[in-house]
Formats: sequence, structure tokens, C-alpha cells
Amino acid sequence: MWVYEKKLLYPVEVTTCNPMLARYLMEQYGGADGELAAALRYMNQRYTVPDKVIGLLTDISTEEFSHLEMLATMIYKLTKDATPDQLEKAGLGAHFVNHGHSLFYENAGGVPFTATYIQSKGDPIADLYEDIAAEEKARATYQWLIDISDDPGINDALAFLRERENIHSLRFREAVELLKDERDRKKIF
Amino acid sequence: MDRPQFRGSFKPYVSPRDPCPPILEKFFVLPPQIFTNFQKPGLPQNSPEEALKQGSLWPQFVDGFSREEKIS
Amino acid sequence: MKGSEEEWNMLKKVQQMDFVVVELTLYLDTHSNDEEARRQWREAIKVAANVRKQYEMNYGPLSLTSVPSKQAIDVGWQWNSTPWPWQR
Repeated sequence: MWVYEKKLLYPVEVTTCNPMLARYLMEQYGGADGELAAALRYMNQRYTVPDKVIGLLTDISTEEFSHLEMLATMIYKLTKDATPDQLEKAGLGAHFVNHGHSLFYENAGGVPFTATYIQSKGDPIADLYEDIAAEEKARATYQWLIDISDDPGINDALAFLRERENIHSLRFREAVELLKDERDRKKIF
Repeated sequence: MDRPQFRGSFKPYVSPRDPCPPILEKFFVLPPQIFTNFQKPGLPQNSPEEALKQGSLWPQFVDGFSREEKIS
Repeated sequence: MKGSEEEWNMLKKVQQMDFVVVELTLYLDTHSNDEEARRQWREAIKVAANVRKQYEMNYGPLSLTSVPSKQAIDVGWQWNSTPWPWQR
């Protein structure tokens, strides 16, 4: 089970009312390489990976949910008091008629989240290599978000999230090394 | 943050018929973790304040990224 | 309860100390034999718990695993009170 903590992983400060930026951030909220996809991917793979790496998948998945909450905070703040007119100018007119001011798991293009973004192959190496790729893709997405955003508070939080992808990628690569140590020694005389 | 050791570059082919003003050298990210298979014990650490700010306890894996780099 | 600058900074302290625990936990997930790191991890959990206790004493529990202090009850703290993390 999980216990809710009434705080963010990292203090997020948003200084502008900028629904256009909120729309772009949705890529990391409900997109293919976003935080929801990451959290669900690892949380599901963990049941059948070798025991050695269960802890890592559990802990990284849990952290991804806290990243998801950071993204939600940014999107919420950037759109909270925006008028329908402002939302429409930001390309969120279609979002507004369907969801009002609420958030939704969709990417920057408005495509709803789908489980087809993630995989679980039941093969530890295939799964961990997908996880490493997912971290690098998320890192790249954060780079392009930083490039397109000029809100210093948002960019500060995005830089933190980008760096976390570096660390997660490193840990998954270490998990691969741990499994390589399990190579059947009996056959190597 | 200027950390060229975590960036790569290449010079793409430029055609006289390219419509946009050509960028003669393109840069890309080579993040620090790809140079390590397994983190060594006892690496220098950030203070807790600095760790949260940078996103890691270990400065060795922090490469930073800003729009001023003009990577894209 | 109104979110003050002082509360924001105290919460940041909790976030900093908790983050050290997060980092060391992930590290130990792949470095189960690093005894020095394990010692630091246990110490970091202690420090984080102390900083959290100070915050919660003044502003109320951050999770339902903490006992609400008399001081927090007196100033009207409730689990359901604002601000929620995304409202701050």
C-alpha cells in the first residue's frame, strides 16, 4: 500500500499564467515518455523481475508518481485562472470543451494516454533496456521543454526532473550489471 | 552551466538549397551516466541543500541543461 | 492555515532531507554491500525524521503516520485543511 505525503518532492514555483506552456507540459504528464507511463511501467514490471531488482523498480516507480504530482502542480497553476479565451489562444480550446479547467492524462497534442505506450515483456533484460530508453527519452523531452519555456520557476523544476532521469537511467544500467553477475557459473569451469 | 564534456557535436551537410539559414555545427547531449556502468562507492557528495537544487546527491552525475546552450 | 514564508522554508528543509534519503535508497538498491552508504542512509533517515518532527509540531502532520501535536490541533489543523501541495 501507499501513504500519501502532503508535500511535493521538490518545491515548485510558478510565476506566470501561461496556458500554452501548460499544454506543452502535458507531454510529460500523459505522453508516451511521460511520468504516468514511467510510473505504471515500472510498477507493473516489478512483479516478475528477478528479486534483486524489485526494490529498485518499486522505489523508482514511487518517485515517478511524485514527479507526476509536480507536473500536475505546474499545469494546474499555469491554467488555474485562465479564461476560456486564453485557453483557446493557447490551443486548449478542445481541451476546455471536454474537460473544463480540469487536468487530463493526454499529451501535448491532446492524444489521451494509452497503455500501449508501455510494455512488460517478462524478460528482465528486455524490460530493463526499455526502462533505460524511457529515462533517456524523458530526459530529452525535458530538454525541449526547457528550450521552449521562458518561465524561470518552471525551468528550475524541469531541470530537477531532467537530472532525476539521469540518475534513474544509471540505476537501471546498474540493475543490468547485477543480472549479468547471475550468469550461470556452473557451466563456466 | 558550461560542461562541454557532456556534450557532443557534428557538422551536418549543408546544401545551397536549404531554405533556413544553415546551422554549421549541431550539438547533442552525452549525459554523464552513460560513461559509468556502475557507480563507485564513496564519490564526493553535495550538501542536502545543493543535492535537492541539482537533482542529485552526486555532482559527478549532474550535467545541467539550459536554453542558453541552444542545443535544439 | 495561511502558508507563510517561514512555513515554506521549513517544508523545504524537510524536502531536502527526504531527498537525501530517496537518493541513498536508490543507490542501496543496487549497492547492497556498501556498508558505509548504509550507515549514512540510516543517519539520513534520522535527520529527516527530526526535521519532519519540527515542521509537524508547528504546522501539523504531513502524513497520517504522524501523531498530530497539541499545538497543531490548537491552531486548527485538520488533515483536510488547505493548502494541498499543488495549491501552495
